[in-house]
Amino acid sequence: MDNLNRTIAPKSSIIANMNFLHGSSYTTQNNIPFHYLHVAESNVLKIDFVFNAGMRNQLFNGQATATGSMLTEGTSKYSSKELADKLDAFGAYLQSKTNVDDAQLTLYCLPKFLPQVMEYVIAVLTDCSFPEKELDTYKTNAIQRFSVNQQRNSFLNRRAFYSSIFGKNNAYGSAVNQEDYANISRETVSTFYQNNILPGIKYVMISGEATGVVISQLESFLVNLSSSPSPSKEVVLTGNIPEKIILENPHSVQSAVRIGRKLFGRKHPDFKKMQVLNMALGGFFGSRLMKNIREEKGLTYGIYSAMESYLDAGSFYIETEINNELRDTGVTEILKEIADLRENPIGADELNLVKNYLLGSFLRSIDGPFSLADRYKMILDYGFTYDYYTEFVETIRAISAFEIQLLANQYLQEKDLTTIIVGRK
Amino acid sequence: MINYTFFQLDNGLKVIHHLDESTQLCVLNTLYDVGSKYEHSEKTGFAHLFEHLMFGGSVNIPKFDEPLQFAGGESNAFTSNDITNYYLTLPAPNIETGFWLESDRMLSLDFSQQSLGVQKNVVIEEYKERYLNPPYGDVWLKLLPLAYQKHPYRWPTIGKDISHIQDATLEDVRAFFKNYYCPNNAILVIAGNISLEKATQLTQKWFGPIPAQVNQKPKYEQEPKQLEPRLAKVEANVPQDLLVKAYHTVPRKHPDYYVTDLISDMLGSGKSARLYNALVKENRLFSELDCYLTGDIDAGLLVIEGKLLPSVSIQTGEMEIEKVLLDFCQKSIPDAELQKVKNKTETNIRFNDIGVLNKAMKLAYCCLLGNINLVNEEVNQYNNISTNDISRVAHNLFSPNNCSTLQYLAKQHG
Repeated sequence: MDNLNRTIAPKSSIIANMNFLHGSSYTTQNNIPFHYLHVAESNVLKIDFVFNAGMRNQLFNGQATATGSMLTEGTSKYSSKELADKLDAFGAYLQSKTNVDDAQLTLYCLPKFLPQVMEYVIAVLTDCSFPEKELDTYKTNAIQRFSVNQQRNSFLNRRAFYSSIFGKNNAYGSAVNQEDYANISRETVSTFYQNNILPGIKYVMISGEATGVVISQLESFLVNLSSSPSPSKEVVLTGNIPEKIILENPHSVQSAVRIGRKLFGRKHPDFKKMQVLNMALGGFFGSRLMKNIREEKGLTYGIYSAMESYLDAGSFYIETEINNELRDTGVTEILKEIADLRENPIGADELNLVKNYLLGSFLRSIDGPFSLADRYKMILDYGFTYDYYTEFVETIRAISAFEIQLLANQYLQEKDLTTIIVGRK
Repeated sequence: MINYTFFQLDNGLKVIHHLDESTQLCVLNTLYDVGSKYEHSEKTGFAHLFEHLMFGGSVNIPKFDEPLQFAGGESNAFTSNDITNYYLTLPAPNIETGFWLESDRMLSLDFSQQSLGVQKNVVIEEYKERYLNPPYGDVWLKLLPLAYQKHPYRWPTIGKDISHIQDATLEDVRAFFKNYYCPNNAILVIAGNISLEKATQLTQKWFGPIPAQVNQKPKYEQEPKQLEPRLAKVEANVPQDLLVKAYHTVPRKHPDYYVTDLISDMLGSGKSARLYNALVKENRLFSELDCYLTGDIDAGLLVIEGKLLPSVSIQTGEMEIEKVLLDFCQKSIPDAELQKVKNKTETNIRFNDIGVLNKAMKLAYCCLLGNINLVNEEVNQYNNISTNDISRVAHNLFSPNNCSTLQYLAKQHG
């Protein structure tokens, strides 16, 4: 029917073009670091207001997140409802996100409405009043969400894992409980706001249709913000004694399994190389874990491994939700795949595939204004330059099977791994 | 503005090209006009199971993923009531690998018993992970058969029951492929950094030789108008009572669909929305409350769902929702409120149009709806809506006879 030879793949080659759009920066008149990334005709704006108001700066569990959530719940001039009405009226979204290392308020809007909505953003960042009634609603609803989450195996598993590898008494490993929510008071959140938001903003980043006009409109509002951010507090990690924890959830039809360890973050020289190892083991659909445990054995809908990086530590883990009856087989197979990486060098074809896939992923990660802004934000947060990405691509291209095997032996010994299982026996 | 060029091959394949020179990527999005609504009521979940098999190797290519990943690409798919949609993204210079892979699995699959056996297990684990294990996971398994009595939307895409997935045979797989997976039942979108000439040439080369097939779509019953309120109660091991109310809407292509969409936003989108503001913030009855459309091609549902605070009875919650709806239907709608949801909709559309994959999916879907240029016209469709339209549609929509109510109750312990 056709003369094509459909059995042979077309030629392909991966050229990661490193000439992608970079962000730029300057300091505003009132000393605020200002970063922008303009993509013409993107027609939308995303603006991040970043503060040293992450969980590492909190004194009580839940304090930073509660403060973040309460930012849009009322100022001395506008009630919670008025703020919601005004922002919604211009089709804008204002979202707060509290991370372990920092916190940000993000505005999404159309460029034509920026001047109208900025007044309310500034009110939120300078004049929060934390009305008692709104705080009470927040607490009640957060406790309800928590009680639903407590029935999720994956949620319970994640909490147990981070507490085990980082210790319970720090921002990286602590888990919020019902009592923590109940204990939050108006004073708790307003103190945190006064100590970590009001002293000053760490930086502002705008991406999308960030034309000169838009930037000067935004800057005219920034004169209202202070520029001496509170210092980021130290995180003291304990824990990391490998253990095996099994939590019973009698209603489960599957078990959540997580196997992993405390590891380093992006600042460590081996981080980039470990990303290659992680990819081969469980980082994508064609990984060893996915092939073995999903595509050959059909034990799960999905299994993956991941490396997470914080400013001062990181973690490596394998995660899956797996058939209850066969979960021991699953755990055995996971450990077998890790052992294989330690004992045998990865084959040339597989290594090539993993490298190409990683380079392709990198191209996807620099596509569009917000992905580009994310790449810019990462290097800002870690104090890197754009060279980080050049080095990343060079590392992928250069790494050998031998180096990967060395990494597996150095960082993925079975005795160093913590195992958490939540489900029914 | 999303620019595009449409052409059709002799074998019936509809093709849309969209050039985006700002990206280093290229996307192939292939939409097959088959979803779970074409399934037999005793063999449900099949369209979705089949989607899994499409990654198990095709007639000339034993493994789908490996050559794609080797070329730096990634792919996935989803199945809904109406469609099955496959997409892959590659570095633009390698896009021919995508044409090669996607055309071969349209030509024919490698039907293997082993692959079918494994994917049945994978889908059963997916069923458990999404619908059985999480709290409230089976709400849709309970709600759909209440809201629909005749229409195949009465079962979920994953399937009515795990046994239907277990019972699927290789014969079923072959017949399904032959009927639905043919060029004359598909829409191909090529979007990204690729010229029209190149896209045309590659499409002709790889998809041109695939023969058209006889594609027969089973006739199914449309849902008759609901004539009285429906109520179902279930008990489950969850911490809070959940109330779900579902109202039949107009089909996706009806002009009032956009009106209905704005109604759902006025009631449920964001903190200033009526239901949230009245019943989560002012009168504290619910801890969460949402309102949204299912957005199906045939007449779908507007769904209001909320979790009640422990001290509040489900009857009180329901009464208060009905009060808000009655007020919405009886009093005139302020212009500013309508403008608000129009602005929000415009924001949502503009943000969604970022990224070449989103644009490709939207082009394919609008083509299926019969008007590709909807990708550019929808903002206007929304902007032309008046407060009178809102009141008129709301009045019919929120008739109690049009409503199915599910009381999903926390089992009392002790």
